Amino acid sequence: MTSIGELIDRAQTGLEDLGLRAEDVADEWTFATELVAAQGRRFGAIAIQRGTEDAPEPVARAVDELLGEIGLIDDPHRAIDWLSTFPDLVAIALGEPIGSGSS
Amino acid sequence: MRFQDAALDGRAVVYAGIQADPLVVRLAGLLADASVGQLVLARAVMNGMRTDPGVWRTIAPSLFPDDRSEAILAASLEVADRGEQVRSQVRGAVVEALAELLLRRRGSGGAVRRERRILFDGVRAEIHPYDVTFEGPGPAEAYDCKWGARGINADVLYQLDDARTHAADEDEELRVGLVVFDTRLACDVRLETQTAPRDATSLTTIETLSQLASMS
Repeated sequence: MTSIGELIDRAQTGLEDLGLRAEDVADEWTFATELVAAQGRRFGAIAIQRGTEDAPEPVARAVDELLGEIGLIDDPHRAIDWLSTFPDLVAIALGEPIGSGSS
Repeated sequence: MRFQDAALDGRAVVYAGIQADPLVVRLAGLLADASVGQLVLARAVMNGMRTDPGVWRTIAPSLFPDDRSEAILAASLEVADRGEQVRSQVRGAVVEALAELLLRRRGSGGAVRRERRILFDGVRAEIHPYDVTFEGPGPAEAYDCKWGARGINADVLYQLDDARTHAADEDEELRVGLVVFDTRLACDVRLETQTAPRDATSLTTIETLSQLASMS
């Protein structure tokens, strides 16, 4: 059984990879890096609270499928859009509030 | 202060066709009653890489099975199936149509209009019209609609705040705001990088969209 903490670790890696792709849009470097940082803090907060919990199988599959989706993105502009969407889909899968967290 | 339809130039004619696309109308209608989770799903699918509905049901298992989720997924996939440029235009039109629909639900007798200019005595008209306006009774409102937080920039913030200020100069109240089909967190991060005035500009995000129908 996969733990929530392990899923968050994978999501964090996916988020950082997405951020690297987004950085190709030079004018949006600050926005992209700060959004990655804010979303990372959000993931960190979930990991602290629920990291040791076992993840139900559909949740683990959801995160895997989601990581597969963002892995297909090579356009940096689309990557920027996904920096906000990806963590919210992770939140939906984990039953966490959408759009929460402090920037 | 007075409102006026924007000039119908070539670009506006093309865009008017997109705004009238039945897919735009259908999707906006579905999203007007969607949960926040369903709104996030729609945003993801419209901006997604894969068009297999099974993938998206797996990604958001808690939203399925559900008739509205299925309808939103199907319509969003139709948007995703369009070419990149058209997809981008359709997404923008969906956000505007959604804002218009929600404002109309207030039922307070005001006119909800699209693509309007706001004119002030002695002030040169802005080039870009406001996406959606609410024109009385009571204070008028002007909204700029954005697909994502990234669309927030100095130009739009200045345009909205300038309009509010010009209205105040004429002893009129004009409420201005951004409707962003993105999360509050992304908008907050975006706004932190902006120095343009924004304290008097409302921000409606994916979490608070439904409140457009009840604001006064």
